[in-house]
Amino acid sequence: MLAVHELEVRYGRVHAVRGVSLTLAEGEVVAVLGANGAGKSSLLRALLGLTRPCGGAVLFGGRDITRWPTSARVRDGLILVPEGRRIVMTLTIQENLLMGAFHRRDHRAVAAEIADIYDRFPHLAARRHHPASVLSGGEQQMLAIGRGLLARPRLMMLDEPSLGLSPKLSNEVFALIRRLNRENGQSILLVEQNTQRALELAGRAYVLELGRVVMEGAPERIVADHALQAAYLGRGTAERRGGGQHATSAS
Amino acid sequence: MLGSIYAMVAVALTLSIGVLRFLNFSIPGLFMIGGMTAWASLRGGLPWWLAIGAALLAGAFASLVVERFTWRWMRGAQEFVPLVSSMAFLLLFEHLAVICWGSELRTLPPLFANADWRIAGLVISVPQLVGLVASIALIWALTLGLARTRLGRGLRTIAEDSDTALLLGVEINHIVPVVFLISGLFAALAGVIFALNYRQVQPFMGEMVGLKGISAMIVGGMGSVWGSIAGGLIIGVVEVMSIGYFGADFVDIAVYGLLLLILCVRPTGLFAAAFAGQRA
Repeated sequence: MLAVHELEVRYGRVHAVRGVSLTLAEGEVVAVLGANGAGKSSLLRALLGLTRPCGGAVLFGGRDITRWPTSARVRDGLILVPEGRRIVMTLTIQENLLMGAFHRRDHRAVAAEIADIYDRFPHLAARRHHPASVLSGGEQQMLAIGRGLLARPRLMMLDEPSLGLSPKLSNEVFALIRRLNRENGQSILLVEQNTQRALELAGRAYVLELGRVVMEGAPERIVADHALQAAYLGRGTAERRGGGQHATSAS
Repeated sequence: MLGSIYAMVAVALTLSIGVLRFLNFSIPGLFMIGGMTAWASLRGGLPWWLAIGAALLAGAFASLVVERFTWRWMRGAQEFVPLVSSMAFLLLFEHLAVICWGSELRTLPPLFANADWRIAGLVISVPQLVGLVASIALIWALTLGLARTRLGRGLRTIAEDSDTALLLGVEINHIVPVVFLISGLFAALAGVIFALNYRQVQPFMGEMVGLKGISAMIVGGMGSVWGSIAGGLIIGVVEVMSIGYFGADFVDIAVYGLLLLILCVRPTGLFAAAFAGQRA
């Protein structure tokens, strides 16, 4: 369904994405992992057309969408639930959901789907005509996902959905993502820093480092692979080791 | 009456500031285009309804030209560039009008002979009443549209965060011209109402009104549609009253003195809680 081929993204002198290739089949959950600044968000922005890639190609549903404007990609079902949720605070909760369906004309179906979302999230339903600024972070994330669902995504891309949430709320968000995939067959591209939780969900994963794919495959392989320790998970240990050396030399 | 003209100009400016964060200086020029086109078409023998139509069409068209040059082709320029190029458009429009029609003050024929109603000693001029009702109705329709329609939601989303609007699939390139179109129509209609009521037009008629419109917007609170309306009405009333009490020489002193006073007390304007972006 999604095939990214040798994608390159530059911001001025910064080479954010360097020849990234990845694929995602219908109904799959694929995780993209990596530290801060590894190029994950740049990759997503390029997939949605918010940033023009300077090389490579993006195929979605068999069509080359590399040069499409964002609105055409959204109409085609490529939907981003952005980092930091990006809820429109001056709009009501209902209006935020309607913004997800901005490009749709089937008003009756939209109304029915909004009712479904309210069934799923009674917290949102109770305050549907309040400005979205009354919501907590977790509720905002649910609203952002609900808004994404109203766009009728063929592929939903989630950028750091657990960022800034308590462990309990993160669990709820991950459980929701799992349900969407299991029950609705929703294809999902999940970008996360919370490696462990993302690998529990994903069928396959890619690890980015400095804009390159340094590892890919099934979650068990990635967990087992020692290289991941150095590439990402072990960054903490490396620092500890460095700190230890420091301590040694000081003594 | 004058207040509702200021209010319409202020609303045109507010729409542009609220949604695009752009102080569109060409709006007084569009006001003038509305007034002068109405005069020129009437002189050319067109019936009044066609003259009004021609004036609105000219204003809308000019506004779209401004959109191309100050906005679409200037994407990525620094923030003050659209401001400067819209000022250039104001001067361009004014001097084109001078070339076409000369710079002297032109008078319109009274459209509706003896169109005054006398009710219990009050004289109500029908064109004034029509102008007032039309402007209130239009502003009301605009606020309703912003609050209720899909386009209104899109505009408010762009106003708060255009990047988010983009990733939700809003076609900003299709919506921005609509903003220019609406504000151009408001400015041109204000010009027509002015021309029909005061029966005098000239190429620089927009400047004074534009300045009052900007003041009305600021007094009301930047970005708030209702604030602009209130600001416009306040300035209009103060103006008329100061002519009555102190004479015509003191009008601007009274108006701008009050403006300074209000801004000292409420630096954010009277109704700072806006439809767009800024929250109180």
